[in-house]
Amino acid sequence: METKIINKQDLAKLIDGLISAGARTVAPVKVGQMHLFQEVRSPAEAVFDYFLARRSPKEFLFPQTEPIFSYTRQKDSVKIHPVDMAFPRTVVFGLRPCDAAGPGILDALFAWDYEDKFWFNRREQTAFVSMTCAQADHACFCSSVGLSPDAADTGADLHLTLLDDGQRYFVEAPTGKGKKLVSEFPSLFKPATDSDAAARGSAGEKAKGLITRKLDLSNVKQWLGSHFTDELWERLSAKCIGCGACAFECPTCHCFDFQDEATPEGGVRCKNWDSCCIDNFTLHASGHNPRNIQHKRYRQRIMHKFKYYIDKFGKTLCTGCGRCSRQCPVTLDIAEVLENIAAKAASGS
Amino acid sequence: MSEYDNISNEIRELAAKLLARGEVDVVIGYKPTALPGRTQPAFAYKPEDAREFVFNPLCVSGLPLYLTKAKPEISAKDRIAIVAKGCDVKNIVALQRENQIRREKIKVIGVVCKGVVGKYGRCDGKTEPKPEDLDEKCRYCDVNTPRDYDYLIGEKIESSPQSKEKEFEEINRIEKLSPRERWKFWEEHFKRCIKCYACSKVCPLCYCNRCIVDKTMPRWIDPSSHARGNLAWNIIRAQHLAGRCTGCGECERSCPMDIPLMLLNKKLERESEELFGYRSGYNPHDPIPLAVFREEDDDEFVR
Repeated sequence: METKIINKQDLAKLIDGLISAGARTVAPVKVGQMHLFQEVRSPAEAVFDYFLARRSPKEFLFPQTEPIFSYTRQKDSVKIHPVDMAFPRTVVFGLRPCDAAGPGILDALFAWDYEDKFWFNRREQTAFVSMTCAQADHACFCSSVGLSPDAADTGADLHLTLLDDGQRYFVEAPTGKGKKLVSEFPSLFKPATDSDAAARGSAGEKAKGLITRKLDLSNVKQWLGSHFTDELWERLSAKCIGCGACAFECPTCHCFDFQDEATPEGGVRCKNWDSCCIDNFTLHASGHNPRNIQHKRYRQRIMHKFKYYIDKFGKTLCTGCGRCSRQCPVTLDIAEVLENIAAKAASGS
Repeated sequence: MSEYDNISNEIRELAAKLLARGEVDVVIGYKPTALPGRTQPAFAYKPEDAREFVFNPLCVSGLPLYLTKAKPEISAKDRIAIVAKGCDVKNIVALQRENQIRREKIKVIGVVCKGVVGKYGRCDGKTEPKPEDLDEKCRYCDVNTPRDYDYLIGEKIESSPQSKEKEFEEINRIEKLSPRERWKFWEEHFKRCIKCYACSKVCPLCYCNRCIVDKTMPRWIDPSSHARGNLAWNIIRAQHLAGRCTGCGECERSCPMDIPLMLLNKKLERESEELFGYRSGYNPHDPIPLAVFREEDDDEFVR
């Protein structure tokens, strides 16, 4: 893997350079008490000494609401107006390895039976620059789903690790897009020495030490396969209030719904985020709802992430970022649910 | 043993007793979680389940939402006991007032509360939060000792709420802004809304069978999370709680995007009090302002 060094001032110049080149440049920005990924107009707006953005960066590939076409009604016909499918070049800075892992997990879904041009056209235009974690909490469990708080290769195009001098980032370029970004701004990236590589290694070890939650998920999928009905579901998730806070902040939740927003003269068809935990997610036109009670809806969330998606695409639909646990209004901690499942699986119940 | 250990023990003993005697089918309370600084709602169906119960300043969730038809897993049980702080009891009173619960079927385990931790406050859960770590609503709390209960846990205390001027300081400030500045203020906040509906789902008084946002024939509110859709949702949510909201603050606490929803709720709470002399959650027999017609009501606004 190509490695380089970039110092803090040059990182600012890189952001500046991209803004000047007309790229939509996105970074964590402080909004009240939280950090959100937002387009920045200057490098000074970007905050890299932070924990985790409240919302995952998936919205830059898969916006919460996306018009897919509009239409106008004429006398005897309906005229369809396609939307512009040319998306701006976008570079997202400062995401964590758990966030960087999201798009790679979702590619399979968006390419499945139909290639989703909205996703892939944006994907082609977007580069991700991740950073080794400097903080973690007890909701984090990335290392239990095969990731790591310092991993360069979870999906980012460039990965930056702040070295212990606090001024220089060790740069890894795991993808062609990342190498291209380096070659576009050659004066900003300096060669990395062996001692820089060693310092990067120890910074990575330090980051790994931040993760306190370790789950054994080895038997979870198998258990899920034979426990569609089990007392565990109601016991652990009857408290779920059925909002979409978990899914909408998740880097991998991807369910969506089509909605027409119309007037008598015409309208827009939108692709909007949806969540399996919301009661009308499976509500049929007849009024019948196969997931007629909350714990069946929450069960779908776990099944989809830790069984169905693995069966279909060979990947776990979770990056261990912990947002869903942290932001759940009733502290429905996904790691606690997985621990309970693992314990049941281990005891053979 | 700390004060909160004693309270927790009393709740465990009482809950176990109620379940063992068959007086209730379920007890709704709080239990610990692995996440520091948090607790979680818990349901005890057997006396031994009650061993997990705790009570401390981390018990922020409002449990009365589990009494409503929105949560049939719990509320469909015949006889329910519920651990309730003073603010939670206000929601129980409001639900009783709106004929959503049969009060006689519910045993309220009132807990004297000295305040819970704020969304960004720090508290170890062993002692009460420092003033700066308290939840905003607790600064103005006048129900530290719940106003209605079947059992009371903890020594009764007098409330000493901060002044109304302080409580409405930010609202007064916003009221003085020009309409354009006010619009900008709310536009900035509403643009973050992600339409997760946590504000509504966590609210014990948002119990409609079918929320207006889910109605499609006709479609009243754009479901998309764009400026128009977000504005329509946030206004209708606040308006539908006008004169009903008890100020528990669960919507604002639950909002993952930190939208200051309580400013809207409290503004409407003050309107309700000034126009109709009504405060929700205090008396289960007061007439509800928006469900009553009186000839002497001020009707200036409909002219």
